[in-house]
Amino acid sequence: MNARLLRMATLPVALIALWEALGRALGGPRTPLPSKVAGEAALLIMSGDLPAALAQSLGRVFSGFAIAAAIAIPLGIAMGRLRAVERNLDPVIESFRPVAAIAMLPLAILWLGAGSGAAVMLVAYAAFFPILIHAVAGAKGVDANLARAAATMGVSGATLARSVIMPAAMPQIAVGLRIGLAVAWTAIVAAELAVGAKAGGGASGGVGQMMFAYYAYSIELNRIIVCMIAVGLVSLALDRLMRFALARAMPWIET
Amino acid sequence: MTIDLQSVRKEFVARDGARTPAVEDVSLTLGEGEFVVIVGPSGCGKTTVLNMIAGLERPTAGAILADGRPVTGPGVDRGVMFQDYALFPWRTVAENVAFPLRFGPAGAGLSGAAIGDRVDATLTLVGLAAARDKYPHQLSGGMRQRVALARLLSYEPKVLLMDEPLAALDAQTRTILQDELLRIWGQDGPAASRRTVLFITHAIDEAVFLADRVVVMSSHPGRVREIVPVDLPRPRNDATRADPDFQRIAQHIWSLIKNEAYRAATS
Amino acid sequence: MAAFALIWWAASVLTDNPLLLPSPQAVSAAFAGLALDGELFTQSALSVVRLLAALLIAFAIAAPLGLAMGMSKRFEEFVDPVVELLRPISGIAWIPLGLFIFGVGQSLPIFIMAYTATFPVLIGTVSGVKSVDRKLVRAAETMGLSQSAIVARVVVPSILPALLVSLRLGVASAWTAVIAAELVGAPNGLGYAISWYREMLVTPKMIAFIAMVGVCGYFCDLALRLLAARLTPWAPGAEARR
Ligand SMILES: Nc1ncnc2c1ncn2[C@@H]1O[C@H](COP(=O)(O)OP(=O)(O)O)[C@@H](O)[C@H]1O
Ligand SMILES: [Mg+2]
Repeated sequence: MNARLLRMATLPVALIALWEALGRALGGPRTPLPSKVAGEAALLIMSGDLPAALAQSLGRVFSGFAIAAAIAIPLGIAMGRLRAVERNLDPVIESFRPVAAIAMLPLAILWLGAGSGAAVMLVAYAAFFPILIHAVAGAKGVDANLARAAATMGVSGATLARSVIMPAAMPQIAVGLRIGLAVAWTAIVAAELAVGAKAGGGASGGVGQMMFAYYAYSIELNRIIVCMIAVGLVSLALDRLMRFALARAMPWIET
Repeated sequence: MTIDLQSVRKEFVARDGARTPAVEDVSLTLGEGEFVVIVGPSGCGKTTVLNMIAGLERPTAGAILADGRPVTGPGVDRGVMFQDYALFPWRTVAENVAFPLRFGPAGAGLSGAAIGDRVDATLTLVGLAAARDKYPHQLSGGMRQRVALARLLSYEPKVLLMDEPLAALDAQTRTILQDELLRIWGQDGPAASRRTVLFITHAIDEAVFLADRVVVMSSHPGRVREIVPVDLPRPRNDATRADPDFQRIAQHIWSLIKNEAYRAATS
Repeated sequence: MAAFALIWWAASVLTDNPLLLPSPQAVSAAFAGLALDGELFTQSALSVVRLLAALLIAFAIAAPLGLAMGMSKRFEEFVDPVVELLRPISGIAWIPLGLFIFGVGQSLPIFIMAYTATFPVLIGTVSGVKSVDRKLVRAAETMGLSQSAIVARVVVPSILPALLVSLRLGVASAWTAVIAAELVGAPNGLGYAISWYREMLVTPKMIAFIAMVGVCGYFCDLALRLLAARLTPWAPGAEARR
C-alpha cells in the first residue's frame, strides 16, 4: 500500500521539482514557479479577490444550469414518450446541437450585453443539450412493462410521467445532469474569457475575466496559474457535489 | 498425445489473502486417442483442471505431464474450446478459423493459399461453408459453437480440451452436435487416427454418450469421486441412447452426484 | 423546422432591428454571399485543418499512453495522478497562459484542441484495455501467439470501438474549445470570423458563420461515424450506422 502511494506521488512531485529547478536556473523574472504560485494563491485568497470571482462565476453557472434543467428534463421526457413531439422538435434540436456553445457568445452579447445575462444564457445553452439527450434516451429506455403495469393500475397521462417515467428515466437523466454541469463550468470560463477579451474592461467579472486581465493588462503568469488551478478544483468540487446531491435525492440509483 | 495429472492440487489466493481450495489431489491419465469426459456439479473444479492442462493456470502442487514432459504454459499441442466460445467479434467466421494459422506458430510455413484451403476444408467439415463471411454476432448459438470447433480443429492440436461446449444449446441442436463431434473425432475410423479429447459437461447423458471413460468429480474441494468406464460399442448413434447399458451407466453416475446436486440446488 | 423558421421570421419583424435579429432571408443571403466568394470555406477549412492536426497529436499521445496504462497497473499508478491533476483544468482555462506562450496564431488553437481531445481518448483507451475480454486473450495464448501478437491482434481490435467513440467525444469538446481559442487568440478561422463580424456589426454574416460552426461540427462527427462503421463492421449497431 505504501509502495503504491510512493509510486503515485513520484511523478507529480518530480515534475513540480523539475519546474521549480529549471525555472530558477533558466527563467527570467516573469517565469512562473511553483513556490511563487503558492505565494500568489495565498495572497489572492486572503484579499478575497479569488473567492469573489469564483462566487460570481458559480452564481452564473447555477442560474444557467437551473434554467437548462428546468427546460430540458420535461422536454426530453415529452420527446422520449410522444412520437409527434419528437418528430417535430428533433430536427431543430439536431441542427442546433453541433453549434458549439461558445459560437453563440457574440449573439448572446448582442442581445443581452456583456454582463451576467449573456454568460447565463451561454451556460444554459451549453448545459441544455446533454441533459436533453439523456432525458430523451432515459424516457425511451423505460421498461415497457413498467408503463403497462401502471396502466393496469389505472395510472396514465401526466401522473404516469411523474410517477413512473421520470423516476425510471432518472439514472440516465442523472448522467445528463453531471455532464451538463461539467460543460456549464467550462462554458462559463470560456464566456468570461471571451467577454474579457472582446468587450474589454472589467464589465463581466468572474474567474475567466480575472485570468484574462492577468494576461492582457499585467502579465502575471503566477496568478494565471492560480486561477487555472482554482478552475480545476471547482470543477472537481462541482462533480462531487452533484454526485452527492443525486445520491441523496435518489437513493435507488448508482451515480 | 497422453496427458498425466499426478496428485494435482490447486488453491486460488485472492488479493486479500483469502484462499479457495479449488482442486484437491486429482490424478488422471488421458490415453492416446481417448475420449474422456468430466462431469460434476457447478464449482467442483472442472474448468480449473482443464485450464491447468491447457497451461492457463499453474497447479499449486503436483505435476502435469504432456507426453512425459512437464506443462509450463499454453502450447499449440493442447487446443482449448472455451465455454462461451471466445470468438473474436471483429473477425468473420473464416477469419476466426484462420486466426491460429495466420498469427500463431501452427501456420508457420503455410502459404496464404494453403491456409485458405485448410480453412475451407474445416468449415466444410463442420457444415459452415455458407456462413464463412458472417460475423459472430450474426450467428445462432449452434453456429457459433461450430465456428469454435472449426477454429480448434484448423490448427490440429494433438489434445482437444473442451469446456462445456454444448451447454448453451437447445436439446435438439445439442443431440445433433454430439453426433457430429463423434464423427469428426473419428469414431467410425481406426482408433489410431483419433485425437485425445478432454470434454467437460454437467449433462450425464451427454457424458455417457460421448465418453470412453467418465470422470465423476465432487466439490469442496474438487476431487475425483470415481472414474466410470463406458464400454458401449462404437460407432455410437441413436440406438446407443436407448441401450439398457447406457441407462444403467447414467443411473450409476447420477447416484454418485445426486446428494451433492440436491444440496447445491437447495442451499 | 418550418415552424421554427416562421417563428424566427415573425420575431425579426416584431423586433424590427436587423442588427439584433436579422430576418432568415437576410441570413440566407449572407450565407450564400459568403459561400460564393469563398470566405465561408476558407475560414472553415482553417478551423477544420487545425482540428485534424490537433486530433492527430492527441491520438499519437493518448492511444499509446492509454494502452500502456491499461496493460500495466504499475505504469498506471505512476502516470494516472498527473492525468487526474490536469484533467479538471479545461482546455479553455489554458487560453491565457497559452496566449502568452504561443502568441496569437496557429499554435494556440491547435494546442488547446489537442489538450482537450487527449483526455477523452486517453480515458477511453485505458478503460477499453481494461475491459478486454480475458477469455479472448487466453484463447490467443492457447494458439501460441506471442505477447506482441496478442496486443496487435486481440487487444487493439478489442478496444477499437471504444477508441472511436472516445475520439468522437474528443472531437465534440475540441470543437467547442477551438471556437473559444479562435475567438480570443487566432488571426483567422471560424471563431475569429464570428467575432470579427460582431465587431463590424454585420449580424447576418455573424449568424452565417455561427451556422457554419454547426455544419462543420456535424460533418466532422458524421465522418467519424462513417469511419467507425468502416473500421469496426462487427461492432453493435454498425449496420444501422452505415
Ligand atoms: N480465478 C479464480 N480465483 C478464485 N477462485 C476461483 C477462480 N477460478 C475458480 N475459482 C473457484 O474454484 C472453484 C472451482 O471453479 P471451476 O473450476 O470454475 O468450477 P467448475 O468449472 O466445475 O464449475 C470454485 O469454487 C470457484 O469459485
Ligand atoms: Mg466451468
